[in-house]
Amino acid sequence: MLRKKLWRTFLLYKAQFLSMILMIAIGIGIFVGFNMEWVSIEENTGSFFEETGFADYRLISEEGFSGEEQEKIRDSAGIDAAARYAVFDVDVAGFGDDALSLSVTEDASVSGFLVLAGEAYDDESDDGIWLSDRYAAANDIAVGDTLTLDYQRLRFSGEVKGLVKAGEHLICVRDETQLMPDYDTFGFAYISPAFYERAAGVPFYPQIHIRSALTKNQITDLADDVLGRTVMVLTKDEVLSYAEAKGEAKEGKAMGSILPVLFLLIAVLTMVTTMHRLTAKEKPQIGTMKALGLKDRRITRHYTSYAFLIGLLGVGAGLGLGYYIAWYIMHPEGSMGTYLDMPDWTLRLPLFCVVILAAAEIALTLIGYGSVRRMLAGNAADALRPYAPKKMKPLRAEKTKLWRRLGFGARWNLRDVSRHKSRTLMSLFGVVGCTMIIIAALGMSDTMDAFLDLYYDKATLYDTRINLADDADGAASEAIAGSYGGDTSAAVSARLEDKAVSLEIYDTPGNLVRFPDEDDHFQPLGDDGAYVCLRLSRAFDLSPGDTFTLRPYGGDDVYTLKVAGLIRSVSENIVITPAYAEKLGLSYDIHSVYTALAKEEIRDDSAIASVQSKQTIIDSFDTFIDIMNVMVYILIAAAVVLGVVVLYNLGVMSYTERYREMATLKVVGFKDKKIGRLLIGQNMWISFLGLVLGIPLGVYVLGVLLDALAGEYEMKLAVTAQTCFLTAGLIVGMSLLVSVLVARKNRKIDMVEALKAGE
Amino acid sequence: MPIVEFQNVSRVYTGGEHTLRALDRVNLTLDSGKFIVILGPSGAGKSTLLNLLGGLDSPSEGKIIVEGRDISTLSGDELAEYRAAAVGFVFQFYNLIPTLTVAENVALVREIVPDALPVDEILGEVGLFDHRNQFPAELSGGEQQRVSIARALAKNPKILLCDEPTGALDSETGAVVLKLLLSMAKRHGKTIVIVTHNQAIAKMADVVIRVKSGKIVSREEQAEPLGVDEVEW
Ligand SMILES: Nc1ncnc2c1ncn2[C@@H]1O[C@H](COP(=O)(O)OP(=O)(O)O)[C@@H](O)[C@H]1O
Ligand SMILES: [Mg+2]
Repeated sequence: MLRKKLWRTFLLYKAQFLSMILMIAIGIGIFVGFNMEWVSIEENTGSFFEETGFADYRLISEEGFSGEEQEKIRDSAGIDAAARYAVFDVDVAGFGDDALSLSVTEDASVSGFLVLAGEAYDDESDDGIWLSDRYAAANDIAVGDTLTLDYQRLRFSGEVKGLVKAGEHLICVRDETQLMPDYDTFGFAYISPAFYERAAGVPFYPQIHIRSALTKNQITDLADDVLGRTVMVLTKDEVLSYAEAKGEAKEGKAMGSILPVLFLLIAVLTMVTTMHRLTAKEKPQIGTMKALGLKDRRITRHYTSYAFLIGLLGVGAGLGLGYYIAWYIMHPEGSMGTYLDMPDWTLRLPLFCVVILAAAEIALTLIGYGSVRRMLAGNAADALRPYAPKKMKPLRAEKTKLWRRLGFGARWNLRDVSRHKSRTLMSLFGVVGCTMIIIAALGMSDTMDAFLDLYYDKATLYDTRINLADDADGAASEAIAGSYGGDTSAAVSARLEDKAVSLEIYDTPGNLVRFPDEDDHFQPLGDDGAYVCLRLSRAFDLSPGDTFTLRPYGGDDVYTLKVAGLIRSVSENIVITPAYAEKLGLSYDIHSVYTALAKEEIRDDSAIASVQSKQTIIDSFDTFIDIMNVMVYILIAAAVVLGVVVLYNLGVMSYTERYREMATLKVVGFKDKKIGRLLIGQNMWISFLGLVLGIPLGVYVLGVLLDALAGEYEMKLAVTAQTCFLTAGLIVGMSLLVSVLVARKNRKIDMVEALKAGE
Repeated sequence: MPIVEFQNVSRVYTGGEHTLRALDRVNLTLDSGKFIVILGPSGAGKSTLLNLLGGLDSPSEGKIIVEGRDISTLSGDELAEYRAAAVGFVFQFYNLIPTLTVAENVALVREIVPDALPVDEILGEVGLFDHRNQFPAELSGGEQQRVSIARALAKNPKILLCDEPTGALDSETGAVVLKLLLSMAKRHGKTIVIVTHNQAIAKMADVVIRVKSGKIVSREEQAEPLGVDEVEW
């Protein structure tokens, strides 16, 4: 019999049951989805790095390493594997300006690759090319095709033996100046040491890749010891593919651990109120069952099973939604797929999400249990008495003059609000929560835009960047700089304590490159010190006036620099002027020239390695923006849907609770529209208050979010007026929509029925 | 002069296979300024009749003419206007708004009736001026019903409709309330229709109508009804 009642009750309160299920599903879905996303990236890239033997450390020497040196390193204690490694960009003959990053590893288990098609890797093959499958696909190259690759005077002619993916090239870009992979023009390939030797004669290996659990200091000491000279040591954190993959996961984690928690909170809290109200409405029934002699335990079990079922359906739907959201943010065909080239995109449900799912189900069941117990308290007679809301007492505000000027509608609403405090608070909380989420999400987008605007519209005023060839001599460089009338720069890799940083020398007589300070003001660079980016200043606790030491790689020199100022930067760098470089005793060999001329106006020159228009750099940022925007849109859409469901649910509750009052007003002669306006008025006030509270709180949450992302970006919090208006519009629109939906029910008020029974 | 005229009015409830004629082809005229009592067993159709007259419900067939206007075909909003302007209701269960004070419960009619009577004056008449700032839950049943009467009168309607106004009160309180209701109605010159079980009230009525199974079984005009103070309660 009780089972039959279960289904009837479900039907009776279907709107409320459905809204509870939806709320839980959205709360769980967002939480699980966002967290699955970063965990999946972390685990999938992690296992990819593992499978391809991604090196923990790289020793780099411009003089190269001998086989003997490699053997000594490999045989040292604490080293799992070590292989000589070479990588250089080669031109692909017959494919326009296409280039490949060509890698050779002496040991395929160190910085190797996965073969996805074609023949397995053979390190004896002296004509085999194992080509990036993405590049092959983008350029219609198949296994069996022959390719000719040119590097300066060397030529590698061979056959494509297999199509591969490599951890080293998870993010396949030419250098730091290219942000996004573009497989139409740039890919990677591996050849065997045998092939390398055949083509080059004496193979030159400028790197040793090492797999080891030792610390960076231990490796540095070990290298010094074994080799008898100082070489550059890079940890994997200093390698682009690894650092960016980790950054992407960190970014997702920041996005996943702040806003989605809010979703869960809103869902659970609203569930508490709704469950309590539902059991309150069922109180006479509960009393009747008790009077009929049903044991408390059975009644409790019966009502708790509603909560359990709602939880089960909500959590189940939420899990499904979570998978969908995670897939939507990271799938190989989406923006993330443009960025990361990895074989496994399996979505992974982290353990803590399973725990949250179980905890949610238990919490919801307990909420149901608690609500019934409250209604069951006392004897059968107590239980039979209908649940009565609190007696009305005058509000404190009623003593004020203002109160006397309030109309009947305002008084009715204010008293209703104070009589049903928890319902009102829940509505307010829902609106505040949604406002916070929308403000923070849109603000994230604003902040990105402001950063890009600052960086690409205000800080960099050049049109074209010319990168000079490594072997270009000083005179040729000067000539190019002179003929295009531009600013120039050079970059030196150096060690700040144990971190590899880029020391950049900028000569900017033309003001084509400028550097924003913390407040986004552009101060000209002075010649008495170095300008440190915010991330480094934070990490090494550097402020103006402090001194620090830099050790450029490839030598034993130590330079002591003074901090002249802090700058906001895209990469982690330190900027100085040529004059300060001279004072320090650093030589300035121009590497890049910035010019206001268009890319097309730059003539071919053997001293020029590449020419980039600023626009291509900006465009490649779009993919990053896209990845962020997908998250932003999902958050906003979910916030709006959740807001509508929460408000509708509470609106229906309020409507039911005021049904008799509204019927009375209707009998007295109030028109439906007028009653509707009273109802809508209350919601609008709550929304307005929610906005007033939610906007500053949202900005605060955005600040927390940006702090969590501080390791990734040096962005200054920005929330535009447009964002505030859009948020206000969304919230008001959402609230209006819900109010109208609820108020439309006024027409269906059955005055005769409503007046039949007593309170 | 008739203020109300029922012409062949039926109210049929159709639920599933059953149809129930709560009112069955009723013809009835009520004169202005009269005191009309409707008697009848439970389920006879008394409330149905009152609700139709009050514009809370519309007839399935027939016409209801109030002051020359057929109200049976009015739209929802027109009915609301009719209720606001023409009728005052008093119900068994008071139907006050719990979150409004006594004075506010009466004053709310000012929202819809521009020429409503002054609230304080009406509250004085029902003897509740001192309770004006209390909430309904703080009053006794009789007092609550008096608020309800004040609210109905404050609209200054032509017709006062009372559906078992003393049904939820003990007989003593009921008598006080009824007395008040009648004297107020007389003083303000209202047409008043009361549905009741109380036989005593019938003696004071100008017209006594008996209803049974949806039909009017008798209609008595009493040439010399007793005055409020002449009746033994
Ligand atoms: N909403 C309704 N649906 C179906 N039948 C109804 C409804 N309201 C009243 N009735 C029936 O109409 C008849 C008359 O009811 P009513 O006018 O309330 O009687 P009373 O004379 O006791 O006031 C009763 O038999 C009642 O059951
Ligand atoms: Mg009745």
